[in-house]
Amino acid sequence: MTKMNKQIRAAAEKYLKDSIVSCVIGYEEDSRGRIRPAFIEDAKDADRLIWNATCNLNLVNYLHQRKLSPGKDQPVPKTAVLVRPCDVRSINLLISEQQIKRENIKLIGITCPGTEINGQPRTICQFCMERTPVDWDVLIDSDQPIEIPSAEDIYEDIKEMENWTPAERLAYWQKEFDNCIRCYACRLACPGCYCYECVSEQVDPHWTSIALDVPEKMFFHVMRAYHLAGRCVGCDACEAACPMNIPLSRLNRKVAREILEMFNYKTGDDPEEAPLLACFDPHERLRT
Amino acid sequence: MTTQFEPKIVSFLCNWCSYAGADLAGTSRISYPQNIRIIRVPCSGRIDPLFVVKAFLDGADGVMVLGCHPGDCHYQQGNYYAQRRYAIMHKLLEFTGVEFERLYVDWVSASEGKRFATVVTRFTDQIRELGPLKLNENNKYLKEKLPEVAL
Amino acid sequence: MKIITQKHLQEWLSRLAGEMNLVAPVNSKGKMIYREIKSPEQIAWGFERTKMPPKNWYFPMTESILEIKQGKETKITEPPEPQKTVIFGVRPCDARSVIAFDALFLNKPPVDRQYARHREALIMIGLSCPQMWDTCFCLTVGGAPNSKEGLDILLSQVEDGYAVELLTVKGETIFEGVTFKELAIKVDEPQIHNGLPALRKSDQWMALFNDLYWQKLSDSCLSCRVCSFVCPTCRCYDVRDELVALKPGLKEYERLRAWDSCTATGYRRIAGGHNPRDTKEKRLRNRFYCKFMYYPEDYGSLGCVGCGRCIDACPVGIDILEVIENVDHLLEKVQINV
Repeated sequence: MTKMNKQIRAAAEKYLKDSIVSCVIGYEEDSRGRIRPAFIEDAKDADRLIWNATCNLNLVNYLHQRKLSPGKDQPVPKTAVLVRPCDVRSINLLISEQQIKRENIKLIGITCPGTEINGQPRTICQFCMERTPVDWDVLIDSDQPIEIPSAEDIYEDIKEMENWTPAERLAYWQKEFDNCIRCYACRLACPGCYCYECVSEQVDPHWTSIALDVPEKMFFHVMRAYHLAGRCVGCDACEAACPMNIPLSRLNRKVAREILEMFNYKTGDDPEEAPLLACFDPHERLRT
Repeated sequence: MTTQFEPKIVSFLCNWCSYAGADLAGTSRISYPQNIRIIRVPCSGRIDPLFVVKAFLDGADGVMVLGCHPGDCHYQQGNYYAQRRYAIMHKLLEFTGVEFERLYVDWVSASEGKRFATVVTRFTDQIRELGPLKLNENNKYLKEKLPEVAL
Repeated sequence: MKIITQKHLQEWLSRLAGEMNLVAPVNSKGKMIYREIKSPEQIAWGFERTKMPPKNWYFPMTESILEIKQGKETKITEPPEPQKTVIFGVRPCDARSVIAFDALFLNKPPVDRQYARHREALIMIGLSCPQMWDTCFCLTVGGAPNSKEGLDILLSQVEDGYAVELLTVKGETIFEGVTFKELAIKVDEPQIHNGLPALRKSDQWMALFNDLYWQKLSDSCLSCRVCSFVCPTCRCYDVRDELVALKPGLKEYERLRAWDSCTATGYRRIAGGHNPRDTKEKRLRNRFYCKFMYYPEDYGSLGCVGCGRCIDACPVGIDILEVIENVDHLLEKVQINV
C-alpha cells in the first residue's frame, strides 16, 4: 500500500475517531477496480480510502448535500473532504458565495501529480503550476514525483481554435453538441452549479425547449459556461462526468483565460473577496 | 425582383438613455432601418446574457444592447455591471461560432438621436452582409418567432 | 443454415440504404454509436457494444406528438408517418428492449400512437455476440448473447460470413433477393461469464424497501440522467407544448415529447411544489425497484436487459450488477431472520 493511501486513511480515521467530523468524503475502489466516491462515516471503514490518478471528480460538489442543518435546532454536519489544489479553490468560491462555512469543513489536501480523464492526462494538469492547495488542514504528499512545468500554457488548443473562422468553430461545436445527450451530468458534477432550478429546466420564465436538439444543447452549454464566469476553478469534473467525452473544459478555460487577461482574476484565491461579476471598477473600459 | 435578405435584429434599449435616444431620432424625423425590434428595459444592467442567447436561438440574426454612457447610468452602476458581463459574453459567443459583429454593445445617450440612427443603420448593414445566423439552420422546431419585416 | 458472405451482406445493405432509412453502428471519434448511414462503408465492424442504444429510432430523443395552430380557429395535426427504418447490428440485449417497450406502449391500453407507428416501420437485423463483454450480464435477466427475441433477422458470425436466421415476416420480406448458400455449418456457442449473481424475483424485493442500503448507495449519486439515457429499456419522458412560430394572428405550437429520467431531481415534482421523491435515496431506489419489481408486476416484463451500459456510463460508479448482488445477500439475511 502506498504511503499516500496510508496517510489518507490515518487522517480520516483520526477525524472520525475524535468525532471532529461525521463523514469523510474520499475515493474507494469497487469490485471491478474502478474508482468511485466514498462516504466514510465509521472510523473502521477508513481503510477503504485510496487515491490514484483516475480520481478526477471534484468531491467539494458533495458538500452541497451537507451544507444545511438536517432539522430544527440541529447543527450543520461537519465534513472532511479529500481535495486536489484545484478542488480547494471551489471551497473558497463556496465560502465567498456564502454556501458553506470554513469551520464546518476539514480539508485533506494532497500535493497533486496530475489526474487523467478517459485514460489521457488532463490538459490543465500537464501545465499546472499550482501543485499544493492554497488551503488545507492536513497536507498529504503525493507518491509520484511532481514536475512543475516551466511555462503556463494550458490554452494551446484554445489558441488553435481561435485561429479558425467563426463558421469552422460553429461547425465544430455543433458536431460536439450533436453527441450531447443533455443528461446534465456536467452540471451536477460541478460544485459551482448549485442552482435549485437550472435555467435550462425552467418553465417560467421559459428560456429553452425540452428538445434534445443542437440549438437547445448549445444554449445550455454556452449559458453554463457564462454562469461559471469567474466561478469555474478548472477542476474539469464536468468533462470527467460526461458520458459522451465532449471537450467541455475548452469552453470554461476560454472564459477563464479572458477573465485572467481582462481582470487579472483567478477564481478561488481568497474566500473573502467578492464575486467577479458582482463588482466593478468605475474606471475600467472594456471592449464589449 | 430578387428578395434581399432582411436581417432580424433585436435591440435591448435602456429606458433612460438609449430608448430616449431612439425616441429623439423618431421625433427628429431621422429614419433608420426597420429591421430592429426594440425591447425596452429599465437599465442595461437588467439585460441578462440569457436574453441575448435566447434572442439568437429564437431567430434573431443580430442583437444590440445599448445603455447609458459609463458614469451616467440612471441607477448609478447598472451599466458597469453590463460592461463586465458583455465583455465576457462576447468572447464566449465568438468562441462558439457566433461572429463577434453579431452582438453589438454600445452607449447611446438620450440626446444622441442622430447617433442612434447611425449606429442602427451601420449595424443593420453589417448583419445584412454577414447573412443569416447559421446556428438555427437545421432547427426543425423553430419556424418563425420574429415576424417578417413589412417593407 | 443460410450463409451469406461479407460481400453479399454489404451489397444487401447498400440496396436497403437506397430503399429506406438504414441505421448502423459507426465510429464517431472513438465512440461507437448508431447513426443513419448512406452506405455500408460507414459501418464500424468489430464493435463490442455501442455507447448509446438504438432506442432513438423507436423512442426518439425528441419527438413531436402534435402540431397545434392557434389562430381564428384551432387546428391540430399529427406529424407525418415515420419513414421505414432498418437498424443493422442490433445486439440481442438491445433487441429485447422492445419487449419492455411493447409491454407498456402497445400491450396495455391506451396504445402510444407514436411508438406504434415507429414499431410498425421498424425492422431490426441483429448481430449475435461471440462473447459476453466486461460489464455484460444479459444471462442474469433472462437474455443471452445469441437471443432472438425482438429481432426480425439474426446474423451470427461464422467462417467467411454470417449465418442468417429469418425470424419474422418482415425479416423474410427484406431478405428476398439476397444471395446466400445453404450449408450445414454450426455456429459457435458464445463465451459467457460464469458466476453472475442471481436476480431475485419481483415479489421478494418489497422486503428491502426501507433498508438503509439505499441511502448508502445514493450518497454519491449526482441525480443526473445518464443511466436512464443510455439504458435500452428506460422510457420515461417529459411533454411540453413549445411555441415554435409567432405570426400576426397565428400561434403555432408543437407538443414535444423528450427523454427524461426518474433520477432527475424535479422529475416527480408536481404542481404546487410537492415532490414525493425529494431525496436521492428515494429516486435511486425507485430506479431499481421500477426495473426489477414495479415493471414486472405491472406490465409483465423486466425493465433491464443486462447490457451494462449504465455501469460504464455512471460518472460515480454506481453498479447495477452490484446492486443485484447486494439485494441477493441482504434478502438472505432478511429471510434467515424471518
